[in-house]
Amino acid sequence: MRGDKKFRRIAAWSITASVMLLAASVIPTPARATAEKTAQTGAVEPKPAATRTVIDEVGRKVTVPAEVQRVVSLAPNLTEMVYALGLQDKLVGDTDYCDTPPAAKSKPHVGGPMSPSLETIVGLRPDLVLATTSINHVETVDALQHLGIPVYTSDPQSVEGMLASTRRMADLMGANEKGEEVVGQLQSRLDALKAKLAGRPMAHVLFVVWMDPLITIGQNTFIADALKWAGAESVVMSDQKWPHLSFEEIVRVQPEYIVLTPDHAESNATGLADLRSRNGWRELDAVVAGHVIVMDSAVNRPSPGMIDAIEQAARMLHPDAFTNDAEPKSASPDGKPQSATPPAPHVKQRNHEETECTACAR
Amino acid sequence: MSGTVGIGPALAANPGAQEAPRPLRLNAEQASYAYAATDKSAPKFTLSSTTFTADQREIVAILGPNASGKSTLMKLLAGLIKPLSGRIEVDGTEVSEMDLKTRAQRIALVQQESELLFPLRVWEYVLQGRYPHGRSLRFESEEDCLLAGNALAQVGAHALRDRWMEQLSGGEKQRVILARALAQQPSLLLLDEPTQHLDIGGKVELLRRLRKLADENRYTVVVVTHELNLAAEFSDRIVLLHNGKCLRVGTAAEVYQRDLLEEVFQAPLDVEIRRNGRPRVLLRGVE
Amino acid sequence: MRPLTPKRILWTCGWLAALLFVTVVLALRMGAYSISVPDIVKALFNGVIGHWQEIPAEHQMVVFGLRLPRIALEILVGASLSVAGVGFQALLRNPLADPYVLGVSSGAALGAIVSLIAVPHTPGAIQVAAFLGAAITIGIVYFLGRRGGQLDSATLLLAGIISASLLSSIIMFLMTTLTTRDFRGMAFWLMGDLSSPPPVTNVFGWLGFLFTVFLIAAGAIYTTSSDLNLILTGEEEARHLGVNVRRVKLVVYVGASILTGLAVSVSGAIGYVGLLVPHVMRMLFGTDHRLLIPASVIGGAIAIVVADTLARTVAVPTEVPVGAMTALAGAPVFIYLMRRRVR
Repeated sequence: MRGDKKFRRIAAWSITASVMLLAASVIPTPARATAEKTAQTGAVEPKPAATRTVIDEVGRKVTVPAEVQRVVSLAPNLTEMVYALGLQDKLVGDTDYCDTPPAAKSKPHVGGPMSPSLETIVGLRPDLVLATTSINHVETVDALQHLGIPVYTSDPQSVEGMLASTRRMADLMGANEKGEEVVGQLQSRLDALKAKLAGRPMAHVLFVVWMDPLITIGQNTFIADALKWAGAESVVMSDQKWPHLSFEEIVRVQPEYIVLTPDHAESNATGLADLRSRNGWRELDAVVAGHVIVMDSAVNRPSPGMIDAIEQAARMLHPDAFTNDAEPKSASPDGKPQSATPPAPHVKQRNHEETECTACAR
Repeated sequence: MSGTVGIGPALAANPGAQEAPRPLRLNAEQASYAYAATDKSAPKFTLSSTTFTADQREIVAILGPNASGKSTLMKLLAGLIKPLSGRIEVDGTEVSEMDLKTRAQRIALVQQESELLFPLRVWEYVLQGRYPHGRSLRFESEEDCLLAGNALAQVGAHALRDRWMEQLSGGEKQRVILARALAQQPSLLLLDEPTQHLDIGGKVELLRRLRKLADENRYTVVVVTHELNLAAEFSDRIVLLHNGKCLRVGTAAEVYQRDLLEEVFQAPLDVEIRRNGRPRVLLRGVE
Repeated sequence: MRPLTPKRILWTCGWLAALLFVTVVLALRMGAYSISVPDIVKALFNGVIGHWQEIPAEHQMVVFGLRLPRIALEILVGASLSVAGVGFQALLRNPLADPYVLGVSSGAALGAIVSLIAVPHTPGAIQVAAFLGAAITIGIVYFLGRRGGQLDSATLLLAGIISASLLSSIIMFLMTTLTTRDFRGMAFWLMGDLSSPPPVTNVFGWLGFLFTVFLIAAGAIYTTSSDLNLILTGEEEARHLGVNVRRVKLVVYVGASILTGLAVSVSGAIGYVGLLVPHVMRMLFGTDHRLLIPASVIGGAIAIVVADTLARTVAVPTEVPVGAMTALAGAPVFIYLMRRRVR
């Protein structure tokens, strides 16, 4: 069916469609009206004259207003840190996965840490965006910089590095004192832990990131560093960040302890019972002896809550160092109670070593 | 054995005319072809020295059994291969020296079938024949359309012009394919075994049309075939090939000698001359 | 008997371009950040005449920093894939050919993965590596696809399929070595994804470069339009009509491959567009390549602008890869087209 007639029909339809679409796009809707207003009033103000320039942890120059009012966090550990510093009122946006503390869930979301919606970030008009090399993509940071939005990228390689990072970011956001306070407390806890564990042999552990396929941590990761503070050493020496292992390796190496980190609180019931039900795993020395530890998933994130997890792990791995202690204070901002079971008098007794992480109940 | 040099009808009619000598439409002089010699073997000649001519209003039939060199000769005429020795000239220019476009303007090879990928209208198809007469990326002019229309009329298919190619019958399609070749306004029309897939009615119709095109529209037609009687009936000149050799060039009456034909075609044949002077070949009873 | 005239081509393309314009305006309008059409027009106008200070900072960020470059890329990718599709369908004499059938996208994917493993987090590395991978594959398939000194459709198709297959197996193996984060990124890339921000500082300069490459490659293919019309009635026939078939095939092969490599290195392997846009344009406007090619350029641009706009707005703030959108829409369209052919 070629020829003029068809051509005319197509032309007629296109005109109609085009007019309708244009009309639809011009008619304002109520929701948009308010947004327009805020956009207009908010954006036409002149930028505040006072600014600061710092170099962030990956070497970029970051220029922020002297008074940072609006902060967007692009990673769960950074959100947690913001809350730990008491700066949650300045937090105008975080990611879909920011759930520590629970209040963070009610902040406006910008998407996932790996592909946040740039437009949403722009719409939140942040003075500062926080990013971290451990989860964010460099392209996101580049894009935000090109748009003229200041981004501070942290690069935590170790536990103490994380503390230093916290201090710097606290300073950037104008919470110097609080920053010193929080970091100071955490540092002293770490120092106390170090003293307690001094002279003891390191426990040889296998830290399981993922069961199937079996993934553990490399020696240059912050988790490895955290474990060191807890008096533990990974039996796997690898330069990769997340090395894959074959099960035979584990059998050959026979770690003393197996450390698991659940993703959600519900899976706390797993752990030793779960491993006991798995073929191959149940024959490992550690499982037979009941040396299975479930660590708070905070250890996965370089954040203040990590210290809690380190302490908890230390208690479970070296219970004899803590026989004289009372229950420890929590470092987490929402004051969740830490109630690790009191250490048993004997070290490697089967029943009492089944320490489950009841502390993780939220 | 080479034949005589043909003289175009125009010159033959007016031997003393003072026309500027127009070159012959087709002039093949001692053309030969062989596959390249290797270290071990001498060149294998698929066609040895062949000489004949064709001019306006003439139909030349190239006759011979399979593997006689017909297809080699056809390729030489079409300019697809270069003669090892000798010359093939169309309108006075060596065919193998012509560039693609010029060659397409002078010589039209008529295909048998056309397998189209996408639907196409008849007039679009025929209009494609005008391609050699313009730039590569071109838009057809009024003149192009006119000539394409003429080509369709010459084959009696003007009424078909708005139809879809795939809707045509076999015969109609063949006419349209021929029309496209005519739209090239060629000096030379080449057909390679065009009657192969046709029934006797179709064969006669095609040759009648070619005869008409030659007579009325002054085309020069060269047909490769092995149809002895049709060639005798419709052609002005016959080139008889056998085993790569050009045995004889001449009119049908001159070429169709019983012994010669029997040897070439390896069949028991009889030749009788009809009233119109053209020979007819019959199969003698098989013993 | 009405042959195709330049006037008819311009007229048709004019309509299509108008449709594209409307689509672009709508696309500029849509996104997580609310901005009205009058504001957009104001921003565009001020930007064009150089009055940058008149534009609110956020509008500038969103319109010029985020949406406009993305829309420009959408147009580029859609146009490139469609013209490549037309070219390959003609070259391979197969209406089911799409730009990826000759393995170009697999080569690009391999380049991308290798760069992810070798030089992770280097901006722009993926694009360059992908294009290099595509270029190398183009060369290899070219040499494998020749027969008798020139490209032969059947041989080329075989060579392409084999290469694609081989490359895919290497890619699969390498993908197992990627980290979770990179794996997700690679999966998105393989589906076709325009959400990555541009890898360079001078975005408009980069876009200009890409568009220049597009114009050269697509322009080269366009010059063979008449030739392609003839070749589609038969290669031998075309040769006898004076078409330099060997050269045309080479030009179309190189041009279409470059266009595919360009699109894939920018956006990953977006599917269905290179296959379907030529078909739809053929249905609407006929098979004459002099019109089909420009119509496909604009038609493809419209398709990707629509698909990507949907991809970035249906599940705000998450980004759906645009390849998922084209697949969702493309599959039913494909089925519909097949049924029409049978009828």
